[in-house]
Amino acid sequence: MIGLLLAKDLRRAYRNPLPWLINLLVPLAMTALIGLTFGGRSNDGAIGRIRFAVVDEDKTPLADMLRAVADHRQASRYLEPIFLDRQAALKALMEDKLSAVLIIPEHFTRNYLTCQQVSFELIKNPAQSVYPAVLEELLAVVATGMNALARNFRHEFPEVLAVLEGHGDYQRIADLIRRAGDRLKTIRHYVDPPLIGYNRQVRADGHRTGASRQGPGFNMFGFLLVGLTGMFLLFIAGNGMIDLHRELRYRTLARYHTIRHRLLPMVAAKVIFAVVLVLVASAIMLGGGSVIFRFDWQHPVALVILTLAYAFFAAGLMAMLTAVVTEERLANALANMVGIAIGMAGGCAFPPQNLPSFLRDHVAPYMPTHWFSDTIRGLEWGQPDAPWFLACLKLAGVSILLIAAASWLFRRRFRRGALG
Amino acid sequence: MLELKGLCKRFGRIQAADSISFQVCPGQIYGLLGPNGAGKTTIISMVCGLLRPDSGQILIDGSDFWSDPQRAKRIMGVVPQEVAVYEELTGLENLEFWGRLAGLTARQARSRAIELLDTLALMDRARDAVKTYSGGMKRAINLACALLHRPRLLLLDEPTVGIDPQARLKILDAIRSLRSSGTAILYTTHYLEEAEILCDRIGILDHGRLLAEGTLKQLQDRLGGDRLFVLEADFKDARPDSWPGFLQRFRIIQQADHQLIVAAAGDRDPAECLKDLLGLPFPVQNVTFKRPSLNDLFLQLTGRDLRQ
Repeated sequence: MIGLLLAKDLRRAYRNPLPWLINLLVPLAMTALIGLTFGGRSNDGAIGRIRFAVVDEDKTPLADMLRAVADHRQASRYLEPIFLDRQAALKALMEDKLSAVLIIPEHFTRNYLTCQQVSFELIKNPAQSVYPAVLEELLAVVATGMNALARNFRHEFPEVLAVLEGHGDYQRIADLIRRAGDRLKTIRHYVDPPLIGYNRQVRADGHRTGASRQGPGFNMFGFLLVGLTGMFLLFIAGNGMIDLHRELRYRTLARYHTIRHRLLPMVAAKVIFAVVLVLVASAIMLGGGSVIFRFDWQHPVALVILTLAYAFFAAGLMAMLTAVVTEERLANALANMVGIAIGMAGGCAFPPQNLPSFLRDHVAPYMPTHWFSDTIRGLEWGQPDAPWFLACLKLAGVSILLIAAASWLFRRRFRRGALG
Repeated sequence: MLELKGLCKRFGRIQAADSISFQVCPGQIYGLLGPNGAGKTTIISMVCGLLRPDSGQILIDGSDFWSDPQRAKRIMGVVPQEVAVYEELTGLENLEFWGRLAGLTARQARSRAIELLDTLALMDRARDAVKTYSGGMKRAINLACALLHRPRLLLLDEPTVGIDPQARLKILDAIRSLRSSGTAILYTTHYLEEAEILCDRIGILDHGRLLAEGTLKQLQDRLGGDRLFVLEADFKDARPDSWPGFLQRFRIIQQADHQLIVAAAGDRDPAECLKDLLGLPFPVQNVTFKRPSLNDLFLQLTGRDLRQ
C-alpha cells in the first residue's frame, strides 16, 4: 500500500519537477556565489594566489628588497606579483587581469631614509572579490614594519642612504652592519623565548578553539554547502509534506478515504516520500557539490548516516507543521519561515561561532540543524572524532517524537471530519 | 442496497441533514435534487464515511456502515463533485492507481482501466496527462476512477457540473448502462432535467430536509397530476384569496408580480378549469396549460425557484 502511494507521489514529482529543482539548485548556486565572493577558488581550500602588479618607479635597492619580499617562497604561495610599468599595469587592471597595482613612487627610498613622509600607491580592482582588500591589509603590515624600522634606525638612515647611493666606504658599512646586529641581539632577549604562547587543541564537545587543521580537500565551498544544504533540505521536506494539503485541496485524499478507511498509511507514505526526496536532494547537493566545487568528503559513511537521520527529522518537522496548520498557504509560508529560522539559528547560513552570543550559546546547540551541519563541518574540517553518532541518535529521537505527534494530530483532525 | 434511517448532521448552528430517510435498491437511480447548500454533499459524505452522522443509521447491503466501514467501502464507488484525480498523471495511470487502491492486482487494474477508457471513448488520450484534458474528459476520468472495482453501489455527487451537453450525454449514458447492470445509484444534482430524465426515484432536499420523495409521477401527482395553469397578468396588487370560490377550485403554487401558477383542485376537467380561469374577476392576459415540473413542486414546497 505504502509502496503504491510512494510510487504515485514520486511519479508526480518527476512529472512536475520545477519546485524540487528550485530547491536543489538554489543552495548550489548560493554556495558558488558566496564561495566565489570570498575567493574560494583554489582546490586546497586556502585562499587563491593574489595576482597583482608592482610598478617600481623608484629603481633603488630598497624597492628591489620589497620586490624580493613579495617574491619570497612563503609569500609566493599566496602572492603572485608581476613587475610592469605603470601604463601596462593599469591596462591589465582594467582588463580584470589583476587584483591591484602597487606603485612604488619615484624618490621613495631617498624620502624614506631622510625621514620624510612617503606613501605607496595602491590601485584596487573591486571586481576581484576580497583579494584587493587582503592586499591592502598586507600593505598596511609592510607600512607598519617600515615605520617601526624608521623609528628604531633613523640615526643610521643617513649612512644607509650614503651606502645605497654609493658614497659610503667599507669601514662605515661594516660599522653599520655591526650596530644593526647589536640592536637585533638586544631585541632578541625581548622576543625569544616568548613569554606567552598558546596550545592548539580541539574541545571534545565539538567546538574548535585555537588554530584548527583543515582536513585535506575540504574547502570553503564545502563549509558553506553543508549549512545551506541543511537549510534547503528542510524546504524540500516541507514541499513534500505540504503535498498532503494539496491532496486535501484536490479532494484526492477524500477519494482515498472513500476507498480505504485507514488514513494513516497515506500520511506515512507522505512522510516516506518527503524522506526519499530529501535523500535524493542531499545526494545531488552534497555529492554534486563535491564534484562541482572539487572537494572530497573525508567521512562518507558518517555523512550518509547523519544525512539519513536528518532526512527523517526534516520530514517529521514538516509533518508536524502540516498537521498543526490546517490552511495550505499558511502552512507553506510557515514551513519556509521555520526552515529559515531554525536553519539560521543552527548556524546553517552563518558559521555558528559568528552568531550573536545568546544564539550561539543558548539556542544553536539545541537546534537539529546545528547537530547536522556542525557535526559534518567538524568531521570534515579537522575534527575526526566529532560525535557524529550521538548527533544521529539525537536527530533520530527528535524525528520519532515529531512523527508520532504529527500522526496523533492527523488522526484527531481526520476524526473531526477534516475530509468531509 | 442502501438505506438511510433518520440521518442527522449539524455543523454549528446549521442543520445540514435533518432526519433523512430513504432507500436505494439495486438497478435503481435515486436522485437527490436540491439547490446549492441543500445538504446533498453532506448526505453523500456521510454515506461514504467521510463524515460521521450525529444520529441515524446507514445500512449498506443490509449491514450498518460503521460496524465495518472497510467492508462497506469495498461495495461502493464514489464520484466526488470535484475532479479528484492526479492531474500530473495520465488517465491510464490514474485509473491503474485507484484500481490498485481498490484492491485490484496490477494486471486486473490495467485491463479494467483500458476497458473503461474504451467505454468512455478516451483510449486515444490514455497516455496524456489529465491536466491536458477538457472538462468533459476530466469528468469522465473522475467517473471511471470509481468504477474500476465494479461497485454494487455508486454514489455520484453532481457528476456533470460544468461540462458541455455532449460530454454530459456521454456520462448519463454510462450511468444508465450501470443501472441496467444492476448497480444501485445515488445521484445528486441541482439540474431538474437530469433528475427528470434519469432518476427512478427522486428526493427533494432543502435546508437539510427531505421535503418530498417518490417517483416523478408520484411527485407530479402531489401538484395535481398533469393539470397546472400559468396565468399572465399584472398580479402586483391582486388578492386571489378574495376572488369568490377561487381557493375551493384551485391551489396556488406561486404568485409573482406578472405570473400566477395554480393547480386544479381535485379531478376536474381541464377545459372546465380553463373556462373558470378566463372568467376570473381580473384581467388575465394569457393562460397556459402545462404538466407540472419538479421546479413547480419545489416552488410549492419552498416558495423558491430551484433554478435561482
